[in-house]
Amino acid sequence: MNARILVVDDDPAIAEMIGIILRGEEYDPLFAADGKAAIDTFRGERPDLVLLDLMLPGMSGLEVCRTMRGESGVPIIMLTAKGEPTDVVHGLESGADDYVVKPFNPKELVARIRARLRPSLPDTTERIQIGDLEIDVAGHEVRRGDERVNLTPLEFQLLLALAAKPQQVFTREMLLEQVWGYHYKADTRLVNVHVQRLRAKVEHDPDNPRIVTTVRGVGYRAGAVT
Amino acid sequence: MQWDWRVWRDRLVHVWRGSLRVRTIVLTVLLSALAVTVIGVVISSSVRANLFDSRRDQVIAESGRAAEQAQRIFTTAAELGDGTDVQATADSALATVQRSTTARYTALLRVPAQDVPRVIDDQASRDFQPGYASTELRATVIASDGTDVAWQSVAVDSEDGLDPGITTGSILDTISAGRYQLYLVYDLSDVQQTLDFVQSTLAFGGFALVALFGGVAYLVVRLVVGPVRVAADASEKLASGQLEERLPVRGEDELATLARSFNGMADSLQRQIRQLADLSRVQQRFVSDVSHELRTPLTTIRLAGDVLYDQREDFPPTTARTAELLHTQIERFEAMLADLLEMSRYDAGAVQLETDPTNLVRLVEESIIAVEPLAEERGSEVRLVAPGGYFEADVDARRIRRILQNLLGNAIDHGEAKPIVVYVDSDERAVAIAVRDYGVGMSPADVERVFDRFWRADPSRQRTTGGTGLGLAISLEDAAVHGGELAVWSQQGEGSCFRLTLPRRRGDELGGVSPLALPPDAEVAA
Ligand SMILES: Nc1ncnc2c1ncn2[C@@H]1O[C@H](COP(=O)(O)OP(=O)(O)OP(=O)(O)O)[C@@H](O)[C@H]1O
Ligand SMILES: [Mg+2]
Repeated sequence: MNARILVVDDDPAIAEMIGIILRGEEYDPLFAADGKAAIDTFRGERPDLVLLDLMLPGMSGLEVCRTMRGESGVPIIMLTAKGEPTDVVHGLESGADDYVVKPFNPKELVARIRARLRPSLPDTTERIQIGDLEIDVAGHEVRRGDERVNLTPLEFQLLLALAAKPQQVFTREMLLEQVWGYHYKADTRLVNVHVQRLRAKVEHDPDNPRIVTTVRGVGYRAGAVT
Repeated sequence: MQWDWRVWRDRLVHVWRGSLRVRTIVLTVLLSALAVTVIGVVISSSVRANLFDSRRDQVIAESGRAAEQAQRIFTTAAELGDGTDVQATADSALATVQRSTTARYTALLRVPAQDVPRVIDDQASRDFQPGYASTELRATVIASDGTDVAWQSVAVDSEDGLDPGITTGSILDTISAGRYQLYLVYDLSDVQQTLDFVQSTLAFGGFALVALFGGVAYLVVRLVVGPVRVAADASEKLASGQLEERLPVRGEDELATLARSFNGMADSLQRQIRQLADLSRVQQRFVSDVSHELRTPLTTIRLAGDVLYDQREDFPPTTARTAELLHTQIERFEAMLADLLEMSRYDAGAVQLETDPTNLVRLVEESIIAVEPLAEERGSEVRLVAPGGYFEADVDARRIRRILQNLLGNAIDHGEAKPIVVYVDSDERAVAIAVRDYGVGMSPADVERVFDRFWRADPSRQRTTGGTGLGLAISLEDAAVHGGELAVWSQQGEGSCFRLTLPRRRGDELGGVSPLALPPDAEVAA
């Protein structure tokens, strides 16, 4: 079955155009023109991915994003206007996984969607231990003792990328390539914001991280700094 | 010493020039002191003359009376007959004179050259000095007849120096023993005392008056200059942008008028500035709204154009070419819109730096690699000469990359396929990047306008990059938000050089100096 993508945009022309492109790529588009309709469709249809315009009439795009993220880990890609740098950060902090800046070209959009729908996971089937966490790669699950830690697919992918090679220090650019699928210089704030979100879920004390640690001036690594 | 004196003089001159208050008070005190002195001198000399005259008249009258008495004694003795002792008569006459006057010294001197026998000796008080009666006085006295009193001013010896005095002289006829001169020397030190007292009172009064004038001047100056100072402070604040500043208006006088008109001026200034600000805000809003509104349809157009472009191989040739044209022009349009938006963001002051430690040499290398395909296509070779700059500077890499992209693009566009050299160097304060080309260059008039918005030397010239004429205007703003500078050198036929200088630490002043000369190619010629 084709992946279903919810397109939330108040401009019908853009929505239709995006629909044409998605169908061309064998995806099934669903449409919503405002925040309320978006939430309704989201709950009713359970799409595989959401393309969300931040500038919406009625409910703000950020609010829609927060609501959806509160209910599921479905990948959310924001459509933002260029040049509102704070918007991007707010959107990411509200739970979006990635963003595309308007005007964008079809290839860019499709690449972003693909990266989110088919995450490239390291092909291990084992369980990986990191700190007091256990990652079940096949089961897409992270446990602390008996308790399940609820991560979004992106957060899971990020943690797994780091944990799979605990010896290695990852620069932000490396993570952008591995986790987000960017093959050129992209926005390192993507990494910063998501590491923050991940830490909030997996660390005992997010201000004093032990699982995802910062290597000053370079990037991040899994486990203690040695 | 000399030096000291000059310092003091300069300081005084400074105070004099700098303070209306000091000047007014000093002038008032000086002028009133002059007036008081003149008046004092006039008063004291007229008092002196009056005192002296009245004392003189008194002395003369007294001497006249004493001489008359003495004359009567002599006359009476002569009427009584020859039996009387002439010497005794003279003694008694002198005693009477001494008793009836306040003269300090008396003298009875025989008129010389008379043919009567000398019976009476010359008599004088012990301290009487011959000089007290000058020869002129003596001559006058001798020439006078019985009733006149002659006088003269003298200086009388006393315990403490000389006192002013008067000597009166008159003639006595002893009848039997010939004529004698009677001299009385008066001491006027009491007059002098009175005069001294009057003078000191005058002097004290004068000082008090001058002090009073000084005080009054100070008060008046405070009353007048004080508000003027307040007004000056207020206008300074106004000039520095504190448009709320106003003067307090009190009463109906000239100062109140000053305050009122000042406030009126401030009101209208504030109004106009606010209007201007509103206007430019409206304009900026308009630009940014328009750009925003354009973006939504542009997104659709862009997507549609790209879809068509991707399928152009399936179209007949004309349609395919149309799709191609559509595609490139949409890209150009998009670039323009992005530039416009960026400019309007700068105008609105809504630009935030996002700095990261960045190695500028590496940044330059990346930028050169990015333009390499274009440079190759135009036949230019881009070289890097980097003696310095190998450290992490806190810059917004995106903006610096944008500056470099534009400078390199311009250099390739106008470089006439000649080599392009990029220099990077640093010193302890700043780091500089210069892009030097050896192409067409610009005339001095062009150089003046090169950073103007939408300005292009020759709009029809064949272009490969961008082409709105906003590139350098944005680069200039990008440099400025970093506290840096973008400078240009160019000569027609010799090429151009654009030099970007950034402070090593954010917030440092550059002061117009740069680690690189402009143009920097003295040592490395093409
Ligand atoms: N290296 C150079 N040599 C000669 N002329 C130059 C050079 N750099 C800039 N200019 C002149 O200055 C003009 C303005 O340059 P600017 O970069 O601002 O705009 P642009 O390159 O025309 O357009 P864009 O906005 O795409 O950068 C250019 O059109 C050109 O005439
Ligand atoms: Mg340019």
